[in-house]
Parts: sequence; C-alpha cells; structure tokens
Amino acid sequence: MRHFLILFYVLCFGYISAQDIDLDIIKIQKRTDTILEFSAEVKINVDISFVNIPEKSARIEYAKNEDTKVFSEDFVLIPKKGLDISLYQLFKNPFITVDRGTETRNLKTYKLINIIPTNKKADFSIATVLIDLDNSRVNEYEINTKKDGSYIVIMNYDKPSSILPSKIEVTFEIERIRIPLKYMGKDVQVNKEEYKSNEQKTGTIFLSFNYTDLVYNSFTK
Amino acid sequence: MKNLIIAEVHKLFKQGKTYYAIGAIFLIELIILFSAYSQGQSVLDILLDNLKKSFYFEGNLLNGNLLIYLILNTLWFHLPLILIIIISGSVTSEYKDRTLLSIMLQPISKWKFILSKYIVGILFTLVIVFFLAITSFLFSYGVFGQGDLIVYLDTLNFFEASDALYRIKHAFIFGAISMVFYSIVSITIAIILEETTKTWIAAAFFLIISNILLKVNFNNYFLDNWLYVKLTDTWQYLFYFEIPWGKIYWNTSLLIVYSAVTMIVGIIIFNKKDIA
Repeated sequence: MRHFLILFYVLCFGYISAQDIDLDIIKIQKRTDTILEFSAEVKINVDISFVNIPEKSARIEYAKNEDTKVFSEDFVLIPKKGLDISLYQLFKNPFITVDRGTETRNLKTYKLINIIPTNKKADFSIATVLIDLDNSRVNEYEINTKKDGSYIVIMNYDKPSSILPSKIEVTFEIERIRIPLKYMGKDVQVNKEEYKSNEQKTGTIFLSFNYTDLVYNSFTK
Repeated sequence: MKNLIIAEVHKLFKQGKTYYAIGAIFLIELIILFSAYSQGQSVLDILLDNLKKSFYFEGNLLNGNLLIYLILNTLWFHLPLILIIIISGSVTSEYKDRTLLSIMLQPISKWKFILSKYIVGILFTLVIVFFLAITSFLFSYGVFGQGDLIVYLDTLNFFEASDALYRIKHAFIFGAISMVFYSIVSITIAIILEETTKTWIAAAFFLIISNILLKVNFNNYFLDNWLYVKLTDTWQYLFYFEIPWGKIYWNTSLLIVYSAVTMIVGIIIFNKKDIA
C-alpha cells in the first residue's frame, strides 16, 4: 500500500511538473501577443533543386488571432509554413513545454524548449524552439506536423529589440518531382537512379520583410 | 529572277490548298485553346502536385503565355507537316500538270527556276510562322490574358510575364528557322521523287524519323551535337531558366548550313534532270 502511495505521488508530481509552461516561452508569448496587426512587403526566394523561379514580391497582412493573408499581382509560391512570424500557430492551442537545456549557434547560447500541444486540434505534434534569452524572442524552431512532415524556421532580426524578424529561412521536406512522360517536353532527361530512389529532398524558402502599419497593444516593441 | 519569284508567289496563293493550310493552322490553334481551357488546370495540377504540400499558389498560371507555349509545341509536328504538304506540292504539281515542261521550253535557267521555288518556299514558311505567332498572341492574350509561364524542362521553370514574352518571341524566330529547314527538305524530296503522293509519304516519314531520333540519346558527341535532328528543337532552349545562347547560335548556324547544302543538292539534282 505504501509503495502504491509513493508511486501515485511520484506520478502526480511528475505530471504536474510536465504541465508547467516555461516562463521564457510565456514571456515570448506575451510579447508576441502585443502585436495587433501589421502588413509587410515580402520578397520570396525559393531554393528547391527542381524548381527555378525568380524572386517574387507579395504583401502580407496579419491581424491578431487570424491567419496571415497574402496578396500578389504575380504568380507566387507561398510557403504553407513559416509565414507565421507572430508565432500565432505555435501558441494557438494549449500546450506544455519541456526544457531541453541549451544549444550554441554562431557562438551564442540559446535555450532549447520542446512545445507539445495538449489539444488534438493542433496541426503539429511537437515543436523544438531555440530561444534568445537576451532579447526574449524565438530564433529558430523545428515543427513536426501531423500531415506535412517537418520543417525548420530560422528567424533573423535587424535590431535587438525587434519582435518580428526581418528575414526568415524555412527549410522543409519535399517529394521529388513525378511528372507523367506525356507532359515532358523535348530534351527532358530522366535520371533513372534519382527516379527510383525514395529519398526525400529538402527545399528552402528565403523571406525578407519590410514592415508597414505595425500596431502594438502596449509597451513592448 | 525577280519575275520568277513573283510568278511563284502568284502560283502559291492561287492554289486552294494554300488556304486550306492556313485554315488548318487556324483550326489547330482553336483546338489547342479549347483543350487548354478544358484540361489546362488538370495539367497544371499534375505539374504542381508535389509543390502543393509545401506551398499555396497565388496567381493564375493558365494564361496566354502558357497557351502560346502550347501552340509553339505544334512546331514539333503539325506545322512542319502542313508546310511539307504545301511547299512540296509547288514542285510536284508542276510535274503532275506537266507545266514544268512548258516552263522549261521558255528561255529560263533551270537553276534560277528551282531557286525561285526554294526562295518562295522559305518566304511562305516565314509568313506562316509569323501568322501563327500573331494569331496565337491575339487569341491567347485576348482570351486568357498575360501572366507567368510555367514550363517543365528537367526542372520546373517559372518565368515572369515580360520574360515569358521575350522568350516566346525568340522561340518563334528560332522555330521559324527549323520550319525553313523542313520546307527546303520537302522541296528537295519533291525534286527527287517528282510524284505528289510519294513525296508526301517520304517527307512525312522524314519528319517522323526526325522526331523519333530527336528523343534518342546517342551518347556520341558528334551525333548528339551535329546530327540535324538534334538541331530542330533549338527553340526549346529558350525555355531553360538560363538561356544557353551559345548553343542556340551554334545549332542555328549549323541548321542554316544544312539547309543551304540541302538546297544546293536539290538545285544540282534538278539541273541534271531531263525534264522532257
């Protein structure tokens, strides 16, 4: 009986601890919550081995608690992931965090946190976030989605005080191209080895933002 | 010589099949437009299938530039076939109607006569390609408007509307040179075979073989770079993301040389022929 009570206590204590949300994440969440709306001119560059596309421009509009809207006069490839620069999708559903220690990037140490949604509605199962404690913001995160594989977002800021990144790199998995032969033009070479291989490729999208109409809720910028 | 050319132009535009050819080109364009309108989106869906997982698409790819690119693809077979029929007919009909005999009874040089056939054949080909270009621009932009162009050539290449227009215009110019080559070959075949049906079969066979061989990788530098079949698709290089201008100029120069040689061979054969 005594053993059972000890086990029960340990399990309960452990569970309660795991439900804690990291204070630094809360701080960042509060900071990003101050952003009510913004719009930005975005330059989009795509680096995928089988895609050649010139730099494209688009305008994005963000309003708190809404999905980001994208407008463009040209044809643009808009990344499904990574445009969430306010981290709205990351914090949208209830979650718990797990402290994973620290990690060093470019001689700077960042706090490593796992975000695990506790709600089935979340479209990701786990996110690993690299936090810049000096500036209270996320510098990198990797998300394992339930449907669309995993992707890594690296955020660069132009000022230490900036909440929103000026540049973003989104690296994601992408299946190699499969096009029926009847749609192939002349001179198209089929690389048999590559065609047979099941290896997934990765692509990277580079986004640079020029913000306009930023509206904050309170003190923090 | 000038009078011979004028006479040949007159003969060409007097025969009904010339207008049938222009009508056929016009009809092919309309069919391509209709099929693109009904199936274009599903073709685009196939091309963009594996990008859908990672991207949303903003903008319309089913536009005039894609349509003109699809019309440009008639340069592979449809257009040269029509040109072969019309242009070789200008020689074979002279044999068939025995008008050649009456012309040769006049004080006309044989080589000048046949050279005028070649010149008019070349001019007619250029006019037809120009007609194809103008009508395809009018129809495609008129119905579908402008927009970015997507082409699959080893990689998925996206071109902005202005860049697409630049590439398409040049593709028509370099495509016209390929068409001229086929026209010259058809006249030469007509000189050799004389009979209409035999000439059409031989010229169509030449075209089919050329299309089949174009897809063959010979793994031989000379065959892969110098064989005429590897030069007739030069216009497609305009749709590589980085245009290989050196390759385009080389291929075009070589094709012009081959065309000139084929024409000279035709003139020599005709000169040696006993018309009577």
